[in-house]
Amino acid sequence: MAKEFAVRPVIFPSSTGNPNVPQHSRHPGAASAPPFQPPRPTAPGPANPSIPFMSFDVGAASASSSFSAPVFASVSTGGGGHFSVPGSFEDEPPLLEELGINTRQIWRKTLSILNPFRVKPDLHEDADLSGPFLFLMAFGLFQLLAGKFHFGIILGWVTVAALFLYVVFNMLAGRNGNLDLYRCLSLVGYCMLPMVILSAASLFVPHGGVLIFSMAAVFVLWSTRVCTGLLVELASGGDEHRGLIAYACCLVYLLFSLLIIF
Amino acid sequence: MILGCNFGSVAHTDMYNNLGNPAGVQGPNVNPQPNPFGNAFYGAGSGLIRGGLGAYGEKFLGSSSEFMQSNISRYFSNPQYYFQVNEQYVRNKVKVILFPLLHRGHWTRITEPVGGRLSYKPPIYDINAPDLYIPFMAFGTYIILAGFTIGLMGKFSPEAMSMQFTRGLAGWFIEVLLLKGLLYSLGGGEAPLLDLVAYSGYAFTGLSLTLLARLCWSYSYYALMPWMSLCMGIFLVKTMKRVFFTEMRSYEKHSSRQHYLLLFMAIAQFPLFFWLGKISA
Repeated sequence: MAKEFAVRPVIFPSSTGNPNVPQHSRHPGAASAPPFQPPRPTAPGPANPSIPFMSFDVGAASASSSFSAPVFASVSTGGGGHFSVPGSFEDEPPLLEELGINTRQIWRKTLSILNPFRVKPDLHEDADLSGPFLFLMAFGLFQLLAGKFHFGIILGWVTVAALFLYVVFNMLAGRNGNLDLYRCLSLVGYCMLPMVILSAASLFVPHGGVLIFSMAAVFVLWSTRVCTGLLVELASGGDEHRGLIAYACCLVYLLFSLLIIF
Repeated sequence: MILGCNFGSVAHTDMYNNLGNPAGVQGPNVNPQPNPFGNAFYGAGSGLIRGGLGAYGEKFLGSSSEFMQSNISRYFSNPQYYFQVNEQYVRNKVKVILFPLLHRGHWTRITEPVGGRLSYKPPIYDINAPDLYIPFMAFGTYIILAGFTIGLMGKFSPEAMSMQFTRGLAGWFIEVLLLKGLLYSLGGGEAPLLDLVAYSGYAFTGLSLTLLARLCWSYSYYALMPWMSLCMGIFLVKTMKRVFFTEMRSYEKHSSRQHYLLLFMAIAQFPLFFWLGKISA
């Protein structure tokens, strides 16, 4: 595979001091620590017609960086601040904000789930999946500590449960049912918090005793109450079917409590 | 995944088309505006695709009101009719299913003329109308109770749960086949499929009750299971008799063949219940 490349090989400025050799590096790693500086003091002119993009002069080191700024920005993020290039790195929003993960909101939503007697539906108006993701990872982690590797099962069962609740709620609500799947998944995930607490507590409780069963009953009722309250408040059409929806939620959380107890 | 369901021009004859779409009162099957997703799957063959996937595909993208406005195939009949329930209906219907001998009233469904056609009243107004909420919830309860039983035996695993789920679905399917075969052999085969699915699904209420009793005291199983099978048999006989009467041609009523088939259906509940109730990991 001896192929002739149109690009000339890199010749670095060593003691030879050859001013007319074009120098460029396509590889960002080749010019790592110091900023890239082509050593040609003179304007290139028509000397190298095969490399048309080498038309910048050495004096403006920042100008050279404008060519390779995207490359450098991705490689040396620490050095990104040194390049005052308009519109690239400094203007980017922080990572979490860009991903849409609002940690303050997640924390507030989590705190609101902790009180089973008063639901705050306005916090859950905008659905997000990052809080549920955290809860499910924590759930899987506590199950792992108990010796059960259930990550995939939790994921699958949460999906099926959310689908089930979505279908049942919309069918019961009829024409004015406007629950969408994303919000349903978000609510089911957030109301998993009591289950996560149960799985943490079950690590310290003897297996198969009366205590774990009664704790599970309490936590399932807690989850059900919060989930039903949020579902009925946030999506229209569920008010006259509160008991029916509560039973469906109860089934979902009983399913997860089975994973924890046994 | 987007299914535009506008099958107004698919021709299905029979009275049961009209009876299967009793939502004329509620109006969701009247389709004045075109489906915004177009007729992407117009004429797709099976009603299952339209009904089943249409339910998920359309609702996934937005509110279910669009789903309500679309004309899901008349053969599959509007699923929303079966979910028009309220808590009082659920309570009374469960009482009827579990203790059919105590049901004082009649067993026929109330019909009402809607727009010139005869259609059945929705479950809120009629205790004898089938619904799909109870079968779904009873099936879920059955799965959970089976999970508890397996767990108390010490052999719980999520795979065992999936196994039970598949078994329950298979049992439901067999029951639907039984009812459908019965209807077919008696000549009238046009009852809506969802009606039969609903009637078969009621079996899970009795099953769940038996499983719950077995969790409390293991010997209650031997008394309760035959009793529940009997109750389900009686319930099915009374319901299917009315279904036959609306279907059959008049000269075939009260034939002995019909009675023997109904008896066979009632007796077939026993092995089915015992098979579904046998929870082994």
